[in-house]
Amino acid sequence: MAEIDMRKVDEIIGRYKGEEGVLIQLLLDLQSEFNWISPEAIARISEQMRIPKSQIYRIATFYKAMSLKPVGRHIIQVCLGTACQVRGAPKILDRVEENLKIKEGATTSDMRFTLKRVNCLGCCAMGPVIVVDGTYHGKITPSMVEDILEQYE
Amino acid sequence: MKLEIDGKIVEIEAGNTLLDAAKSIGIDIPTLCYHPALEPFGACRLCSVEIEKRGRTKVVTACNYPVEDGLVVRTKTQNIIDIRKMLLELLLARCPEEGRIQSLASEYGVTKPRFQIEDEHCILCGLCTRVCEELVGVSAINVISRGVEREVGAPYKELSDDCIGCGSCALVCPTDAIRLEKNIYPTTAEDIQEIEAKFLEGDRDEDLGVYSDLIAGKTSTGGQDGGMVTALLISGMKSNLFDAALVVRRVDGYNAEAVVVEDEQGILSARGTKYLRVPMMSKLEAALKAGKRRIAIVGTPCEVRAVRKLQQQWDLEREYPGVELTVLGLFCLESFDYEGLKADTKSRFGVELDKADKTQISRGKYIVTADGTDHSCDVRDMEAIVREGCPYCDDFVSQLADISIGSVGSPDDCSTVIVRSKVGKNLLDAAEFVSAEVDKKQIVKLAKLKKRNADRKLATILAGVQ
Repeated sequence: MAEIDMRKVDEIIGRYKGEEGVLIQLLLDLQSEFNWISPEAIARISEQMRIPKSQIYRIATFYKAMSLKPVGRHIIQVCLGTACQVRGAPKILDRVEENLKIKEGATTSDMRFTLKRVNCLGCCAMGPVIVVDGTYHGKITPSMVEDILEQYE
Repeated sequence: MKLEIDGKIVEIEAGNTLLDAAKSIGIDIPTLCYHPALEPFGACRLCSVEIEKRGRTKVVTACNYPVEDGLVVRTKTQNIIDIRKMLLELLLARCPEEGRIQSLASEYGVTKPRFQIEDEHCILCGLCTRVCEELVGVSAINVISRGVEREVGAPYKELSDDCIGCGSCALVCPTDAIRLEKNIYPTTAEDIQEIEAKFLEGDRDEDLGVYSDLIAGKTSTGGQDGGMVTALLISGMKSNLFDAALVVRRVDGYNAEAVVVEDEQGILSARGTKYLRVPMMSKLEAALKAGKRRIAIVGTPCEVRAVRKLQQQWDLEREYPGVELTVLGLFCLESFDYEGLKADTKSRFGVELDKADKTQISRGKYIVTADGTDHSCDVRDMEAIVREGCPYCDDFVSQLADISIGSVGSPDDCSTVIVRSKVGKNLLDAAEFVSAEVDKKQIVKLAKLKKRNADRKLATILAGVQ
């Protein structure tokens, strides 16, 4: 389980306390700090910002940019946009799933990787492309998948 | 503002909507997500009408479109009828069982949808979430996710700690969806009847609910008033009526939290009334999951309702075999918010609530004892810090509990006890206490007051229900 440092949560809440209409920004800050938004964090925001829990949960489930589940240390995005698709992206995704023994959307039990499928990353010329922690790996083949994943501990 | 609706001229003040204007001249526009006491939402689109402005026509939702001077509105053109037909066809495919949808659909000649039939009840009109947020104020439920996954529920689909069981959501729900929700506790009149029949024993009193005994008692436990709650818990545990008790205990100063205790020491640590609302249901669920089965719960009327709803609606026995709940209900007119009460006590009396020796509400007075001095004010003056939702609750005496306890109706150092079931009777029989005189009239007076106030609130909601 990814540990959540509540002091850090309080510090982030502190940036916005007393202001109105800041919930989305606050949640995005939490997301970028911890990679996910924990139930404890939601409870703390509710208490400190005086916003009902259900309203925070509503926002957090609405935006794809926010995750309510702990994510792994490394986030893999496999592009399945049209260009990558025709260049064999489904096989890349299959290979990653096979290698990590998880399905898209899930996190490995050792919390090493979270696998997400995305639809177009805007760099079709590089396709098929996968992004790990923001680093783009382009023009890849299924046989390259293992080497790429090994770079991330 | 002067405008034309279906060829009729209507004059109406600015700020009204097309729906208001149409209603004022008797033109009927169908709605599903509209309620006059709530902000219009425009979710169901059924109130779509055609407007003409500067020679251009467009389709808008009448419930949230403000009236404009010179506007021409048509509510029954073929285009509009086709739109409503399509909406109803989609709704009927989604919720084929729902009477309200069925009758609206047949009114528009829609009988058999072309689309895949689903087994849904909720049409996502948002009335329940809006009534909970805008009127009741607790926001226990909300919409979750988006797109085809959108649904209504409590956070994480776990038991809600915020729901007060007032049932407003069930009142406004145009379908059966809310009644089928499992994580909140809307308690309707039918639910109350069912719960009374299933759990309680005695005669039904109009104001105090079902009960068999009404007594006053005094013990030496040193709790609030006569300390009866503490005494009942201690003797109940000793007599093996339950193994654990879910009680509310102070943490950091005056603030409080619900904890499961399993011995006398634990029970004693929770002595004294806390005029706060604290999350209970998640703690109960956690206790059940941790394997506790025979649990006594001390709660306010809203928490008692929640526990009963849980017993009535969930198959608790299947999920947690051997479960036995003993429900001790408190008298409660309203509860406060910790931060609010703290700030109020500080500004009013210059007293730090966290350091106060005792707080008490008695005979309409809020009394704080600190450094040997009593400070008091009228509770009525503290309206601003009453917890959201409390004015919507009509239950002063925890009518659905096994046994209810409070201070009203008995002498100063005694507690009033109302026995409502066999479970409650056994609990009282196990306890040692000195009896005293009860003044039922005093209890009835406050019970009536609470009911009257809540009825007034609920009447606003009921008036707008179609």
